[in-house]
Amino acid sequence: MDKVLVIGRDSVPDRIVLGGGENLSLTLAVLPGTDCDLSLEIDLDAPGASLDLAGIFVCRGSENVSINVNVRHNSGSCISTQLFKGIAGGKARARFNGLIYVAPDSQKTKAYQQCHTILLDGDAVVEARPQLEIYADDVECSHGATSGYLNEDERFYMQSRGIPVQDARRLQMISFLSAVASRLPEELRQQIYDSLS
Amino acid sequence: MDNNILLDIKGLCAGVEGKEILKGVDLTVRRGEVHAIMGPNGAGKSTLGAVLTGRPGYEVTGGSVTYDGRDLLAMSPEERSWAGLFLSFQYPIEIPGVSITNFMKAAVNSRRKAQGLPEMGAADFLKLLREKMEFVRMKGEFAKREVNVGFSGGEKKRGEIFQMAMLDPVLGILDETDSGLDVDALKTVADGVNSLRSPQKSFIIITHYQKLLEYIRPDVVHVLKDGRTIRTGGPELSDRIWQEGFESING
Repeated sequence: MDKVLVIGRDSVPDRIVLGGGENLSLTLAVLPGTDCDLSLEIDLDAPGASLDLAGIFVCRGSENVSINVNVRHNSGSCISTQLFKGIAGGKARARFNGLIYVAPDSQKTKAYQQCHTILLDGDAVVEARPQLEIYADDVECSHGATSGYLNEDERFYMQSRGIPVQDARRLQMISFLSAVASRLPEELRQQIYDSLS
Repeated sequence: MDNNILLDIKGLCAGVEGKEILKGVDLTVRRGEVHAIMGPNGAGKSTLGAVLTGRPGYEVTGGSVTYDGRDLLAMSPEERSWAGLFLSFQYPIEIPGVSITNFMKAAVNSRRKAQGLPEMGAADFLKLLREKMEFVRMKGEFAKREVNVGFSGGEKKRGEIFQMAMLDPVLGILDETDSGLDVDALKTVADGVNSLRSPQKSFIIITHYQKLLEYIRPDVVHVLKDGRTIRTGGPELSDRIWQEGFESING
């Protein structure tokens, strides 16, 4: 199943359990102006379960966005991927805590987590804490977190093609978010892109 | 003033992070001319392209650049583009999630907006896009691809020539567009430039090989060495460099 949950509009379960062969594709969207303190636990309980989780947040005012995700591989031979992308500006604070737990003997686990954020200006604060807790030895796990500013070379490339600096910045944000935004319904994606100007 | 002069560079000094790279470049490009800038690695060739297009991080410390009667150095990169300047990047930037079509639409319509024109209609734009893709022998799906993402070296360079054709510049600057290209791709690039040549348009070809200049015959060749133009001549200068090397040219 493919699911999109808008934080503050849709209810988000605290815990999701995936059994043998169950696949979940879930995208969480935190729209501008939304404060949230989200905690989500996902258990992969039997071989063949897979999770494809993504999240997007855009906060450019004075929002407090906190996302805590705990993915537990309680059984071997399960796959989980996570991709979070966010943009923070103004006086916003964004916090991401992501834990991947691989239980003893959960062999042949594949678990990946990425969280990337863009800071638009110096007053916004982003905190990303990816964590791995692995108790099995035959696993493939990785995590990565980056936070940075919009790339100057990219912006110059756009400007050199005649795209004014403000439009270029917006295009850069769209480019940055696209990997997650492309999972959203058109209307929602457009709503997020419109908020970027 | 000579109306036929499109670009006039006088005593240009520029550098990056306090390190002086250009130490007095003089260059005059008239309308309709193709100039080649040659020189060994580190001579300042790419720096010149960067300064002319207003790349951030490059500081001009002396001299002047007049483009079409205007002070080029006072203009923003987008204003330079609107005025008809185009730089083909040596290392084109990847823009994931943005299609060639959307990127070009933004570029074309930004200029139209700056010129007080309405946005180009969808049908007209598509027609233009198709025509220019054909021009660089790009297939239909090219327009849907993300800008430069997953492009081979040759595709990136052809993509730059495609963008140049779309924006139809008055002064096109090719920064080492030939590096890493096989002969077929080189010919595509050269054909592209040659068919854009007109009495009103000029080109600056930055290269350190002579190969591209066999296909695009320049009117004027400059040798840049240690941040200075040390020699200016006709196409025979590039032939001599090819045979005898840069060492044979002294300031």
